[in-house]
Amino acid sequence: MTLVCRPTYGKLLSSAPMLAITSPSPSALCPPLPSRLRLKARPFRFGTGGLLALSVPFRAFSVSASASEFPERIGFLGMGIMGTPMTHNLIKAGCNITVWNRTKSKCDPLISLGAKYKASPEEVAASCDITFAMLSDPESAVEVACGTHGVVNGLSPGKGYVDVSTVDGATSKLISEHIKATGALFLEAPVSGSKKPAEDGQLIFLTAGDKALYETVSPLLDIMGKSRFYLGDVGNGAAMKLVVNMIMGSMMASFSEGLLLSKKVGLDPNVLVEVVSQGAISTPMYKLKGPSMVQSRYPTAFPLKHQQKVRNSKVYHPFLFSWSVRKFDLLAQLENDLQIIDELHLLFLLACLYSTRLCQTLPRLTNSFTSVWLGTHIEVYTL
Amino acid sequence: MEVGFLGLGIMGKAMSMNLLKHGFKVTVWNRTLSKCDELVEHGATVGETPAAVVKKCKYTIAMLSDPAAALAVVFEKDGVLDGICSGKGYIDMSTVDDETSTKISEAITAKGGSFLEAPVSGSKKPAEDGQLVILAAGEKALYEEAIPAFDIMGKKSFFLGPVGNGAKMKLVVNMVMGSMMNAFSEGLELADKSGLDPQTLLAVLDLGAISNPMFRLKGPTMIQGNYSPAFPLKHQQKDMRLALALGDENAVPMPVAAAANEAFKKARSMGLGDKDFSAVYETVRQFKPSSS
Repeated sequence: MTLVCRPTYGKLLSSAPMLAITSPSPSALCPPLPSRLRLKARPFRFGTGGLLALSVPFRAFSVSASASEFPERIGFLGMGIMGTPMTHNLIKAGCNITVWNRTKSKCDPLISLGAKYKASPEEVAASCDITFAMLSDPESAVEVACGTHGVVNGLSPGKGYVDVSTVDGATSKLISEHIKATGALFLEAPVSGSKKPAEDGQLIFLTAGDKALYETVSPLLDIMGKSRFYLGDVGNGAAMKLVVNMIMGSMMASFSEGLLLSKKVGLDPNVLVEVVSQGAISTPMYKLKGPSMVQSRYPTAFPLKHQQKVRNSKVYHPFLFSWSVRKFDLLAQLENDLQIIDELHLLFLLACLYSTRLCQTLPRLTNSFTSVWLGTHIEVYTL
Repeated sequence: MEVGFLGLGIMGKAMSMNLLKHGFKVTVWNRTLSKCDELVEHGATVGETPAAVVKKCKYTIAMLSDPAAALAVVFEKDGVLDGICSGKGYIDMSTVDDETSTKISEAITAKGGSFLEAPVSGSKKPAEDGQLVILAAGEKALYEEAIPAFDIMGKKSFFLGPVGNGAKMKLVVNMVMGSMMNAFSEGLELADKSGLDPQTLLAVLDLGAISNPMFRLKGPTMIQGNYSPAFPLKHQQKDMRLALALGDENAVPMPVAAAANEAFKKARSMGLGDKDFSAVYETVRQFKPSSS
């Protein structure tokens, strides 16, 4: 059976290549992890759910860890929704911070708390031992790392660069190569968690790359987050983040359909939120977002445009890969259309997640799951 | 309190057992009468037909697998209708579409009985542990009278208004659940094929905003390929189908649910209908190349 869903607008990445299948082993881009590196989690958490049966050591987190435990000079590039509270937490913990942002004014709150400022990523990297970057998309991440006055111009042996942005594996590897060419160490460390977890220091770090750098920055990750994983080679952190966000986005889309259906058949969507919270599919996300979705309030914690970026990334492997449709032009077009459909809180932005399973003899196209983005003319989508 | 119980499948058996253990007098019936034996060992009496059960008991609960079974039990010869009369209450806890529920409701009330639909959220284990979520609708008075039984079988019950609302709510919830299971399956497969450890994915998910009991419970067994049925896939697919029909009637576009339904259909075509609904993972799991 074939269920093919083509978007009626927007550009398909029709030039997306079919990965040539030459071997049944996982893609060379994402080699399998040696089992000893598969999980190094130090979860430190309260609240919902229980840990799976992993023998994971807990470590008492000392809030009063002295600043001398941390690398001396820390840079932070990108004062957006995430970067700002993350930097704030580092400053509160006593770290020596230098910031940079494309729009300088965004740095002012941090400067008023004592952060230093440099006018370019290059200068930040040159003046710091470890530089973090929290940027909105692969293009920005590459630009900041390798562009004009980019980080690579300021790095040298002994320094470290930790990219906390969410990018695709290929971008991460590209950045890694450029960083390591300077002699510095590199760690990709995308996070799971949005604005509030960032503010509360409750992020989950999905790191991969130089193990030594991971060890060095772990105290800093523990300030900004509640748990961290070391996943092996560069690309693995990015892949894990994308998988998690794919599931999350699909769940949000499913939940949106449920809210919409419940409303249209005469049920109270607030009751649906409550019923869901009682059962097997109760998630913190639904509990948190449900009420405001019902009221069509969408304060930005995770802009929809960034969720879509996740979709645009291609994670290659021999038997399953996905395209997605470029979202920005879709959104603009739909924003126009949405003016007149005010009654519907939840609207479709696009519908495309193609899964393809290839075999040696018989190409077969199977849409096992089509994912849809639901948003509103307010153009925010909280996660 | 004495109640009748029709339908001793995965759910009905656990629910009626709970009632027995908490001091209810229960008269049971099942199409395959042998299924009653274990309940009898715990103190239940057997009714030969649904009508016999209804004649004996003031309240009768039904837990059947699908609309066809729910209708059959009511309308067939020696069915519920042959026993129902004024003063008696019929509580159908099966998951059906609202049209079926309405049809049953009308027939019951036409004969003087009172009717409550009360589908549940929760599968085998919550049923055994008395932790179901009950989504009742219909006659408020009957709901009030049923509360002692609901409190045994479930952890929370909702009264949602006129007949049809319980059915609809159940379908919406199961639709979201079916879509989530598909998203989860694809995530596991994608992680695996990207060289990540699916167990690590489970650990990461469990720490974050989308942690939930279903992933926690099913994730490990899915990775092991263990699909012992708590909620048979064919019933999940039935629910997706009914939810889509509801969306169709009300012009609600639901492409995610539609795609999820296709995955469940595919799983059925692969012979996985009687397995747990998490077996939908097999539709995306490692493709086994044809021998060459």
